[in-house]
Amino acid sequence: MRLLLVVALAACAWGAPWDDCRELRYHGKLAEAKACFSKLTSQGDALTLAEGLWGLGQYQEANVAFRAAEKSRANPAVVKTEWGNLFLERYQPGDAAKLFEEAIEVDPQYARAYLGLARLAAIGFDKRAIDLANKALGQDPKLYEAHELLAYLALEDNEPRTASDEAHKALDISENALNGTAVLASIDWLNGKTDTQWKVFAEGYAVGAHFFEINRRYEEAIASYRKALSLDEGLWSARSQLGVNLMRLGRPEEAKQELERCYNAGFRDAETVNSLRLLDTIGDFETVRTTAAEVVLNKKEAALLRPYVETEVQHAMATYDRKYQMKLPGLLRLEVYPNHEDFAVRTIGLPGIGGLLGVTFGMVVAMDSPSARPPGEFNWASTLWHEMSHVYVLTATHHLVPRWFTEGLAVHEEGAAQADWGDRLTPEIVAALQKKQLLSVLQLDRGFVRPQYPTQVLVSYYQAGQICDFIAQKWGDAALLGMIHSYASRKSTAEAIEDNLHENADAFDKEFNTWLEAKTGNTVQHFDEWKRGMKAAYQASEKGNKDEAARQAQAIKKFYPDYVGLDSGYELLADIAVSRGDKAAAVRELEAYRDVGGKNPGTLKKLAHLEQETSNPKQAQATLAKLNNVYPLDADLHRQLTGLLLAAGDANGAIREGKAALALDGDAVESHYELAKALHAAHRPKEAKDQVVLALEAAPDFKPAQQLLLELSQ
Amino acid sequence: MIGHGTFDGTDYKINLPGPDMTATELAELLNKIPAQRQLVVNMTSASGASIATLAKKDRIVIASTKSGTEKNAPVFARYWVDALRDPAADADKNGTVTALEAFRYTERKTASYFEAEKLLATEHALLTDTAKANAVRDPKPDNGQGILAAAFPILRPQTQVASNVTPEKQKMLTRKQDIEAKIDRLKYQKAALSEDEYKQQLTALLLELARTQAEIDR
Repeated sequence: MRLLLVVALAACAWGAPWDDCRELRYHGKLAEAKACFSKLTSQGDALTLAEGLWGLGQYQEANVAFRAAEKSRANPAVVKTEWGNLFLERYQPGDAAKLFEEAIEVDPQYARAYLGLARLAAIGFDKRAIDLANKALGQDPKLYEAHELLAYLALEDNEPRTASDEAHKALDISENALNGTAVLASIDWLNGKTDTQWKVFAEGYAVGAHFFEINRRYEEAIASYRKALSLDEGLWSARSQLGVNLMRLGRPEEAKQELERCYNAGFRDAETVNSLRLLDTIGDFETVRTTAAEVVLNKKEAALLRPYVETEVQHAMATYDRKYQMKLPGLLRLEVYPNHEDFAVRTIGLPGIGGLLGVTFGMVVAMDSPSARPPGEFNWASTLWHEMSHVYVLTATHHLVPRWFTEGLAVHEEGAAQADWGDRLTPEIVAALQKKQLLSVLQLDRGFVRPQYPTQVLVSYYQAGQICDFIAQKWGDAALLGMIHSYASRKSTAEAIEDNLHENADAFDKEFNTWLEAKTGNTVQHFDEWKRGMKAAYQASEKGNKDEAARQAQAIKKFYPDYVGLDSGYELLADIAVSRGDKAAAVRELEAYRDVGGKNPGTLKKLAHLEQETSNPKQAQATLAKLNNVYPLDADLHRQLTGLLLAAGDANGAIREGKAALALDGDAVESHYELAKALHAAHRPKEAKDQVVLALEAAPDFKPAQQLLLELSQ
Repeated sequence: MIGHGTFDGTDYKINLPGPDMTATELAELLNKIPAQRQLVVNMTSASGASIATLAKKDRIVIASTKSGTEKNAPVFARYWVDALRDPAADADKNGTVTALEAFRYTERKTASYFEAEKLLATEHALLTDTAKANAVRDPKPDNGQGILAAAFPILRPQTQVASNVTPEKQKMLTRKQDIEAKIDRLKYQKAALSEDEYKQQLTALLLELARTQAEIDR
């Protein structure tokens, strides 16, 4: 979609003959524009020919003509920049960047080359876009397209006032600053003012659609793309985005139709092709419908995941119905992808998606399956609760909620559902706190959209979550609900804070920072000491000096109890305790690790084993249940849980676990036998007999199964 | 064998203190052992390159990699050790873990490891027990591999003592063997029977076997 802006911005270059043609097109005079571009192709120089061919959509020929223009050595900076713009439009950013850089090498004062680089950076939500646009303005203060780009970037950052100022600066320089107009119209549209005074054409509607899209207002984005296409059906990037957004909202047939039109017309950017590829795999999935949701699971893992996913969806829905005092207006659609790349295609073109595990598009949630990532990397159940919170908040606010608040509330809800869920205070976050890199609440959206340092998105999630924790703690859940209602009434964050927390944003920031410092100060202050201590503890352990390792680890434990990442102190101390034969101490350490949010499957399995050895089956059951939320693709885990649940008298739970083991380990004798026992306990003798026969078919001499068969046959 | 192995395109060698031993030298040493049957489990990197040299009649050769070019440190050994202590390795629950059961358990666990960790599999274990160099990943009757390995016990966790067998007990043991044979035959006929028919007959035989076993154990 952003390429639309690029095309439009390139339209009014510098009084060249093709400017008139582009202007005609941008004003919706398509036939006249076509005639104008055709005329250019019969004119003399290679650059004009290239522009004419480009305007007619003859991209290969235009590329050849640009090459010829470059060889002629006339206006090299102009030729390279224009050629770069062609590559930018034809989704070849690497080639475009090279040409813009070459143009700058030839003429370091050529503003349009910097502008090209700025647009390129803007596509990737790169913070350098703003610097480069300003650099272009430094070379040419009259370059209104740079102001237009700054307006566009400001609106992406949810700073409409700056966006409006920049758009007006562009319009003050040139009345042809139609992208400035599009940004101004977009501000109106985002504020619900559909009858904007700003006159826009096809590409202007596509610009508006982009802003609806990044504000998660997908239905409005679709309507806007449709409007753009009704004015110019050849806007292929808009059509592609229409297809992508239809796919996001769970309308695969319509999506495929639009995307195939793009593909067949030769518009084959990565989004179009990857989305079509994903749509081609629909046959690998099955849809399970419940009263409140339809769950789309890959056939290979549907038998395993379905009971867990359905239970969590129901539980989350019941909780949120009560908490947000509302019912969802329709069926929730949950898509679970075992291949992370498929999930990634669903998130293409959205800002701040690095490392995302789930994404919500209105009533549609797409997320990674637990099998999509290495064991222990994420908690699928908490991710589901997180995304479902978005569904409620987006619905309740009519998609008018700022990014920081919906993300913060979703993180808060994870922690409210289970204390060990939610965002932990990771070393990256501690480092950001040390450097005082948190943003003010009014600027927090920027941390998600255009991060200034590599871990800022992660830090922003944490900060937003902590803000919502703070609000809930000090003002109660009612204040959070009040803020949701404020956003629904189109209030800004400043207004939502004043209305519900009865203080201004500055005062809130100060209070929050004090609260957070009290909570994290110990860790932040002793972080370096903790790092040194951990290093020393592990070094001592490697040298076999367990006493010293234990001493070091114990000494620094209090500085950073939240650390449950790789090689945590809890795990080290537990290993040492086990080596000393003190299983009770090891259990204490590892239960603390588990309860703070430790997710290493090996460690959790070890804990469950120790808990069983120390005669604490109830805790072992709790540990394995937590492991199920992290990595349920382990048949041994389900077999163990089957046994524990059976012993605890929970036959139905045991059946669920037995079936999970079987789903993972199709013909394992043990799995059939354990499930048979569970079914027997649940007084389902016929099914139990079927399972025990299956066990004995593979292992006729398996004595426990023989005994069960005899019992069931009496 | 656990450790580091290499392959230079011609010879496989296992790294030892002093001169490394080639597959040929290893085979010569193994040939001198006067055992009727042998099991060689080479779990070093590049161990696939040793199969052709080590393969011999009445010898089961298992290698953790399919060729000499799989040079990463294998994880196979970790799961082979697990097979020796995890009851799940005893697939037919007869109390004995055979070389074939251990191989299948280990091969499955190794593949799962790479799948779960989202890593490209850098090892593919093979087995041959027919003196042929064409070792396979899934030994079964169809490819003629695994027959010797299926009859080669490597672990008997439950003591199997055949003492003081009375004539009555001997009769029951014979009956048990007959039933087991009938079950095996029925399994071969599975495709020719309807699902219900097969299930009915199988259940009847399994019940008879269970009753016989209960009598033996009494």
